[in-house]
Amino acid sequence: MAFVPGSAAPDIDEIRKCVHCGICLPQCPTYRVLGEEMDSPRGRIYLMRAAAEGRVGLTETFQRHIDLCLGCRACETACPSGVRFGSLLEATRAQLRRSRSPARRRLLEAFVFSVFPEPVRLGLVLAAFKLYKRSGLRALGRASGALRRLPSLAAMEALLDDVPAAIPMPEVVPACGRLAGRVGLLTGCVQRHLYPHVNRDTARLLSLAGFEVVIPRGQGCCGALELHAGRPEAHAARARALAPAFPADLDFIVTNAAGCGAAMKEYGHRIPELAPFAGRVRDVTEVLAGADLRLGPLDLTVTYHDACHLVHGQRVRHEPRQLLGRIPGLRLVELGDSELCCGSAGVYNLLEPEMARELLDEKLARIAETGARVVAAANPGCLLQIAWGCRERGLDVAIVHPVELLARAADAYQD
Amino acid sequence: MSVAGSSIGEAFVSIAGRDRVRDDFEALAAATVDGLRPRWVVRPASIEQLSRVLALACDGRLGVIPRGAGSSLELGNPPARVDVVLELAELDQVIEYNPDDLTITVQAGISAGALASLLAPRRQWLALDPPGIAARTVGGIVATNASGPRRMRYGASRDLLLGVRFVQADGVVTWGGSKVVKSVSGYDVPKLMVGALGTLGVLAEVTLRLHPLPEAERSWLVLFENARAAQVLVERVLDSPLQPSRLELFNERALRLVSAEYGGVGVAVSIGSVAEAVREQGERLTVIAGSSAGRLVALSEAFWSQAESAMAPPQGATVLHVATLSDRLAGTIGAVEDAFRTVAPRADVRLSGCAALGTLRVLVSDAGVGETAAVTTRLRALVGEVGGSVVVARGSVELRRSIDPWGPVEPCAFALMRSLRDEFDPGRVLNPGRYVGGL
Amino acid sequence: MPLSGPFLQELERIVGASGLVRTLEGRLVYECDMHTFYKGAPDAVALPTRTEEVVEIVNLCRRERVPIVPRGSGTGLIGGAMAPVGGVMIGTNRMDAILEIDLPNRCATVQPGLINLSLTQAVASRGYFFAPDPSSQMVSSIGGNVATNAGGPHCLKYGITANHILGLELVTGAGELVRLGGTAVDRPGYDLLGAAVGSEGTFGIVTAVTVRLLHAAEAVKTILASFTAIEDASEAVSAIIAAGIVPAALEMLDELMIRAINEGTGAGYPKDAAAVLLIELDGPAAEVEAQGERAARICWERGALEVRVAADAAERALLWKGRKEAAGAVGRLAPTYLLQDAVVPRSKLPAIMRELIAIGARHRVQIANVFHAGDGNLHPLILYDDREPDQLARAKAANEELLRACIEMGGTVTGEHGVGLDKAKNLPLQYGEADLNFMYRLRRAFDPDSIMNPGKLLPSHPACGEGFRPARPRVPDGAWI
Ligand SMILES: Cc1cc2nc3c(=O)[nH]c(=O)nc-3n(C[C@H](O)[C@H](O)[C@H](O)COP(=O)(O)OP(=O)(O)OC[C@H]3O[C@@H](n4cnc5c(N)ncnc54)[C@H](O)[C@@H]3O)c2cc1C
Ligand code: SF4
Ligand code: SF4
Repeated sequence: MAFVPGSAAPDIDEIRKCVHCGICLPQCPTYRVLGEEMDSPRGRIYLMRAAAEGRVGLTETFQRHIDLCLGCRACETACPSGVRFGSLLEATRAQLRRSRSPARRRLLEAFVFSVFPEPVRLGLVLAAFKLYKRSGLRALGRASGALRRLPSLAAMEALLDDVPAAIPMPEVVPACGRLAGRVGLLTGCVQRHLYPHVNRDTARLLSLAGFEVVIPRGQGCCGALELHAGRPEAHAARARALAPAFPADLDFIVTNAAGCGAAMKEYGHRIPELAPFAGRVRDVTEVLAGADLRLGPLDLTVTYHDACHLVHGQRVRHEPRQLLGRIPGLRLVELGDSELCCGSAGVYNLLEPEMARELLDEKLARIAETGARVVAAANPGCLLQIAWGCRERGLDVAIVHPVELLARAADAYQD
Repeated sequence: MSVAGSSIGEAFVSIAGRDRVRDDFEALAAATVDGLRPRWVVRPASIEQLSRVLALACDGRLGVIPRGAGSSLELGNPPARVDVVLELAELDQVIEYNPDDLTITVQAGISAGALASLLAPRRQWLALDPPGIAARTVGGIVATNASGPRRMRYGASRDLLLGVRFVQADGVVTWGGSKVVKSVSGYDVPKLMVGALGTLGVLAEVTLRLHPLPEAERSWLVLFENARAAQVLVERVLDSPLQPSRLELFNERALRLVSAEYGGVGVAVSIGSVAEAVREQGERLTVIAGSSAGRLVALSEAFWSQAESAMAPPQGATVLHVATLSDRLAGTIGAVEDAFRTVAPRADVRLSGCAALGTLRVLVSDAGVGETAAVTTRLRALVGEVGGSVVVARGSVELRRSIDPWGPVEPCAFALMRSLRDEFDPGRVLNPGRYVGGL
Repeated sequence: MPLSGPFLQELERIVGASGLVRTLEGRLVYECDMHTFYKGAPDAVALPTRTEEVVEIVNLCRRERVPIVPRGSGTGLIGGAMAPVGGVMIGTNRMDAILEIDLPNRCATVQPGLINLSLTQAVASRGYFFAPDPSSQMVSSIGGNVATNAGGPHCLKYGITANHILGLELVTGAGELVRLGGTAVDRPGYDLLGAAVGSEGTFGIVTAVTVRLLHAAEAVKTILASFTAIEDASEAVSAIIAAGIVPAALEMLDELMIRAINEGTGAGYPKDAAAVLLIELDGPAAEVEAQGERAARICWERGALEVRVAADAAERALLWKGRKEAAGAVGRLAPTYLLQDAVVPRSKLPAIMRELIAIGARHRVQIANVFHAGDGNLHPLILYDDREPDQLARAKAANEELLRACIEMGGTVTGEHGVGLDKAKNLPLQYGEADLNFMYRLRRAFDPDSIMNPGKLLPSHPACGEGFRPARPRVPDGAWI
């Protein structure tokens, strides 16, 4: 057995649930691009199994195929056997972290993980970025090729077009009209800094829907990125810190970032005492889908991209479409392969820029086919990635979170 | 030679019995193939006899012509040798009929007519309807891959033959396929036997898939001024939810023989289903015909037998089987008629075609050998563009000597065919020389 | 048999570094198809993108007598796309383009790696579909379908893959590129196309396929009938066929299977039923209506608990979703199973179902069933836990007995999955020496050096799998010339 035994090793029974049918293959983005078995879910599970049986070691090649996985969990949705690939992947990554990690990637990861999950630090870095951008240093930096030496920084540089000004949020937003319940809002690390208006719109819509929205000040990070990178301990620490930040009597904890929501809903898998908290986590679209919102017309053609961690991680597919469909005048056109990852995948686009690029190109081609001028996606990572792609390609398409459209529609409502 | 010959003759007798081996002048003359008189006509009564007859013929390096009803002996090259004509009509037993499974196993010499009457009480049928079917043997139909208008709905022999017992050139009795409607165990040997003219083995017993007869069937004829207009209708029908069981094109000459009233090019359409669906689809056909500016005539079942007689080859006539693409049918019909008009203006050319598949049957009388050969060559160049073919399905020896009755075969594929023939019949016992490329 | 350095270099020259898998880990994941019982990793995997590359690879291998194993999506159930004696595996996964769609002639030409369902998706908006629909259609490749002559639920009415293939481009074991058949029908000569379909990669590698497309039916009706006894359901099947109804599909699921599927996808099959029939009729609306009523009546007459008609496309899709994912859903019942694919004459269904229950009891194994009842094609899944050797032995014994029972009833060893490594040993149950000999010799015409997918489809013969001469009939004495 190449894995270090213990609770952190991939669950062999879960591995054995895979009957090797291959139904997941065409849904896997990396398989679609590379067309090779070891970069498919079935192949990755087979490698895990071989490692568990001691037939292969945790070699560099092994790690390469695991690294290339987006963790998008499209394979889980496809799998009729119910293999929980996400947790197998997390455990395998944790094992790999213990035994090996190539130098280049370690450096990148160290940077990424020292910044992203820390709202304050992320804020600082982004502020520095803003300065850097305005001062014209950017052109210089690019020209000098300094950025290219660290491809992830180059990718990040490209992703961040501009950093908006922060929007201060109150600690409690009262409900409008009849009280439907009390919810907490997770503001998220990336969302808070890059898409503050999405948080503002979320709070507003929840309030319009009759919810009192509690936005705890000291809330930290949900730990999703760390979990996906095979850092279960760091993840657990974050989870344990985050849950108590929300009052225990809230009806729901609402997120508008699919990655955060998926991770929080699964807290109970690893930390049983957090199961009740996890049980109250909802995506904003799930909460709003049942609410009586008054929406005015928007004359727009919109297509909807399924964020992996919403559609595969949380199995929320219908609600966002239903909500957008309720906006009068809005024409919702289906996006081909809408469930295929856009390549963002947390910080994947920083760590594996080439594969991310391929997937983004594919996504953009599908978007162009729809003829829609607006793409809605319910995850900040996707918003960043697709927006960057459109900018680069000169595609005249706006990328928004569905709540932004809903909020505009609510504004447009007249009695 | 005569000593050896008589000893072989005696050996045939010892296998099949005296009354099943004929070498009298009358019998031999009647069995002449392309002008070649056989030395024996042998009529085995069992597969075992058939097997031993072939083993003997193989050792004696004799040329054997298997013969069912004898309706397709003018297909292919004139044989290189004719020593034995093997009459199979007495291998006509029904081995096993499973009406509930819609399958039947019969010996290959049974006539299709006899088979049909056996199946009719259960409202089932073998879904093959080549011209002159009733008299033909089932084995002959399979070996020549003969088909008719209903092929578009039910497929041809390759789609209906589930299992086959055949006797190889050296007498080894071999089975391929299965007796159930679905099987992929081993190679699909039955398909290899379809249309092989017995050159890989003489068909002795076949297991066939049957179909229920439709509850109701009705036919219509839609008449047009020319083939192009007819093609438009064909395309509209095929691109609609209509499910015709026949969609047959006829040229004016063929139609006039059915009825003086019919002018122009006609498309005969049959719909078979439950009565309600037949009526409803008929209405839709009327609409489609109207929008294609065709004249719609309701037909009685008699039409089909009249059409068959109109297309039945008189003595000395030539039949060409032309295969092209469905969307080129009109053009090909035009090309056939033009070619004969210029090369052989006096020729009588009747045409029918399976519109969905792009196949045409061309019946030519009153044309000279050279003329027909010239037209055939010209057509081959035309349909060759899309991988089509023109096969002389029936024609005089002279015609079949002056041009290759099969036409060209892709060289790599032909090399494979030859190696199969070399493998299974190196001595060229079965139908020597008759098959493609003189195999 | 490790490959030599120069050989690998040459291979890499042909397909490029990114098209060649040489690592231990990479080769390992190619060691089996869905039948994970049989393992054999290739020495290298080549992932060509063009036919010319395939020709070069085959010629290289032929020169060096290196075995070749073609592989599509690796969903085969028979130990087909695996390399029992090593060699080079050729994966078609990067040859997945649609080369031409010719709707006026209702056909399309595609590369072999194209996923079955992708073709239907490409033509669906114009009202057409590709009829062969193995339950793996969302993942299996058309090349794989051709090689195994795959069937599927709707093959009852529409026929199996062979009925829908018009032409093939094949690189034979001799390294020759041949075109068999084509859009125009009735090419003179042997139906090599027909023989090549279902040859499981033993004739060569299929590099392009021309398929027939069908016009979508006007109306579809899906009926779900549940029964309290599996025999009742089997009798209903026989009665429907005997009544002259040809449903597009007629599928049966037993109790165990119903449970697994319900847990898997929430297909909403009745929980307390012992058997479910999924009957689908398609065609002209009036025909579907009339035959649907008749089929429903037959089910009621045979004691159905409930007969449900799918109300809309979504409900129909859900009923089918469960059925299509059945093979995967068994993972919820047991870690491993043996899957049978035998066929019995459909009138023998009630008898074989009784036999099956008896066999399960005799060998103390659980058997789940999900199958193409309309054509008598059984798919019993004999469940076992591979961590307990005793269970495997019992499962194998039950499997063997079942197979023999089917053959005795006039059936066949495999109805659609193919032979592969798994069932090669069973062919002698169905064929005599002469019959097998014919097949050996047929194979040799395409693959003279026996490099194509060795060990598959035919049992290895005592004389090293070479063709052999069966006894010939006796020639009368004195008949010598
Ligand atoms: C969930 C599930 C359901 C299934 N349902 C059905 C069903 O309903 N009906 C059915 O018939 N099968 C079914 N199967 C079996 C399997 O999907 C079929 O046999 C399918 O045709 C295999 O396709 P593949 O691309 O996966 O081929 P592979 O498994 O990769 O290969 C199968 C065989 O074909 C050969 N081969 C592959 N590609 C080529 C090529 N280009 N040229 C030459 N040889 C080649 C291989 O060598 C191998 O012998 C099912 C499988 C699964 C996992
Ligand atoms: S779909 Fe599930 S069971 Fe099938 S190969 Fe993928 S992970 Fe394994
Ligand atoms: S998580 Fe996504 S990338 Fe990883 S194996 Fe599954 S489908 Fe492929």
